[in-house]
Amino acid sequence: MTAWISTNNSFSELKERFRREPYLQVNLIFTGVIMLVFAYSGFFSPASDNYPVVCIHEKLTGEPCVSCGLSHSFSLIVRGRISEANEWNIYGLRVFIFFAAQLLMRIGFSVFYIKYPETGKQLITYDIAVSIMLFIVSFLPYIEWIIKQIHLS
Amino acid sequence: MEDFTTNTGQSQPPLSGQTPGQPGGQSLGIAALITAIVTFVLAVIPCVGIIAMIPGIIAIVLASIGLSQASRKDSPRGILVAGLIIGVVATLISFSQIFVAGKIGDKFQKEWGGNIENVINDVQRNVLDELEDGNVSIKINADGDSVEIKASAGKQNRHQELEELEKANTGINDSLDKYK
Repeated sequence: MTAWISTNNSFSELKERFRREPYLQVNLIFTGVIMLVFAYSGFFSPASDNYPVVCIHEKLTGEPCVSCGLSHSFSLIVRGRISEANEWNIYGLRVFIFFAAQLLMRIGFSVFYIKYPETGKQLITYDIAVSIMLFIVSFLPYIEWIIKQIHLS
Repeated sequence: MEDFTTNTGQSQPPLSGQTPGQPGGQSLGIAALITAIVTFVLAVIPCVGIIAMIPGIIAIVLASIGLSQASRKDSPRGILVAGLIIGVVATLISFSQIFVAGKIGDKFQKEWGGNIENVINDVQRNVLDELEDGNVSIKINADGDSVEIKASAGKQNRHQELEELEKANTGINDSLDKYK
């Protein structure tokens, strides 16, 4: 009985913290968003080629862009066909790793934040710094391509 | 009184008509921040970069409304400002991809523009050739009277006439020597 009350109390406390802490809310929502990305990759298959998202750049110019084949690449990575995924988009794996790392980070940082509330600000600062670095490393080829296009035009 | 100090050090007094722990504009701030970050990720993917402008504008609007609410209720604005800045930067990145449209315009001008000019010239030449070879007939009917005008540009005939004239003229000595 005491254990049940204790569990109930800790659950309501956790719920209260999630309601009160924007960081935990943001992490929770991002976890959902990343899960949706993975679900999208798993749901649509390269075999049936039924992806709803089309490349606007290719539609307008007739030329494929640097991110073309990313959805196919993600679907193949989810299915464990890494070499085929690389053929569709050479940067697909590193972008996928970014999302996977973000998923782990959201869960990990949330757990740490709940367990050690005193780390608050430092943890958020560390999270932002790591996320920015990961983002730059993962999306650098796309950023470079955009800059190149702007210079060309 | 309940303490609403969060881990981030933001003191949040409860406000009337609001859930404790959710000060003015905080929910909008979270929505704006998430929308802005998603926009940022979408904006750097060239395939969907231009579309990212829509969530970017939504993020800016959400953050702006949240900021106005926060300033009225004197609530913390950290998340709202972050959402606004990321939203603006993401929208600018997305907007910059419109420059690609300029590239499309150039391509159209170079590849299609020249072709269209050639097609127009060909059509013009064909029409003129047909008109020169063809016969034109104009018939006018008025109160039972009819007048028909037949005209022939006769390009071939004119060529023939010109050739005949040239042949005929070759035998004539038109030099000034005969007058000496």
